[in-house]
Amino acid sequence: MAEKIDFSKVSFLIVDQNRLSTQLLRDILAMLEVTRVRSVTSVERARRALRQDLVDIVITECHMDDESGIDLIDWVRNSSDSPDRMIPIIMLTANSEQEFVVRARDKGVTEFLAKPFNVEGLYRRLVSVIARPRAFVNAEEYFGPDRRRRQVPFNGPNRRDAG
Amino acid sequence: MAKRAQIIPPRSDLRRKAVNRTKGFDLKLTPETLRKLTEVVHRAHDDFTSDISQRLVAMRDILDFVRADDSLEAGRVGLARLYADSLEIKGAGGTIGYDLLTLIGKSLNDFVGRLTVLEETEMRVIELHIDALYVVLANRIKGAGGEIEGEVVDAFRALNAKFAGVRSPT
Repeated sequence: MAEKIDFSKVSFLIVDQNRLSTQLLRDILAMLEVTRVRSVTSVERARRALRQDLVDIVITECHMDDESGIDLIDWVRNSSDSPDRMIPIIMLTANSEQEFVVRARDKGVTEFLAKPFNVEGLYRRLVSVIARPRAFVNAEEYFGPDRRRRQVPFNGPNRRDAG
Repeated sequence: MAKRAQIIPPRSDLRRKAVNRTKGFDLKLTPETLRKLTEVVHRAHDDFTSDISQRLVAMRDILDFVRADDSLEAGRVGLARLYADSLEIKGAGGTIGYDLLTLIGKSLNDFVGRLTVLEETEMRVIELHIDALYVVLANRIKGAGGEIEGEVVDAFRALNAKFAGVRSPT
């Protein structure tokens, strides 16, 4: 029998200032039978929510007043204060230009989805973070999901030599 | 000597909790689930178009505000608001089928994102974008539009490139 995802077991935190975007995401998640969704409108509130509640997946906008979604990723991945440095983070944003994608990736985003988005794209990313978790890399200047999507087999002492 | 990167194996707690073989949604999106999810987005259509039209009104108000108060602070606040509103339009349009709103919204957002001051010429360019966005919304032009709409988008692209060239440091 094929694998399935029971989304009712998964809790979400949505971080977005836009009320309509948040509501649409909530409605989509409700259709997928998600019951535990919390939404906040700022990075500071997201920090508080993550400290208070058990959250499985964060979905964050990039552009917000005061602090951006990239600041949130940085805090989650690198702060000693972070309650879970390995929590999956999906960035869902209209800031879709390459510079934002690269910055989010280099801070440790798990998945990036540009607005406008379609439901297939969102679903694929949800499946990816739940069913196909990625290894993490802990390096001098980076802590986050392994940024290499293609796994190259290697036998040597240094994985970078595998090309 | 640089510290070697440590590879931490994938964490399986979420997978263990949610993935099974009896209950839930297939990993591959089924046509039935896609239909239901698409319906959810369709239901949000009117709220999104209403929000976009309110943002267009707000952007006109911002331009009036900046024209009435030519201080640097007013310009700074105005630019931040214009950036935020155009970004929301760019992000919302295509989600509800108005790809042309996204294309013009992106042009406006790119344009505003490069500005450091708001002067009359720049405000006229912003107004042209707002007018075009109004036309798309009022005429309910879904998708990317036709030949004329394509020419409008190309013209905005050329306008953006021209201003980017003018504003670039030499």
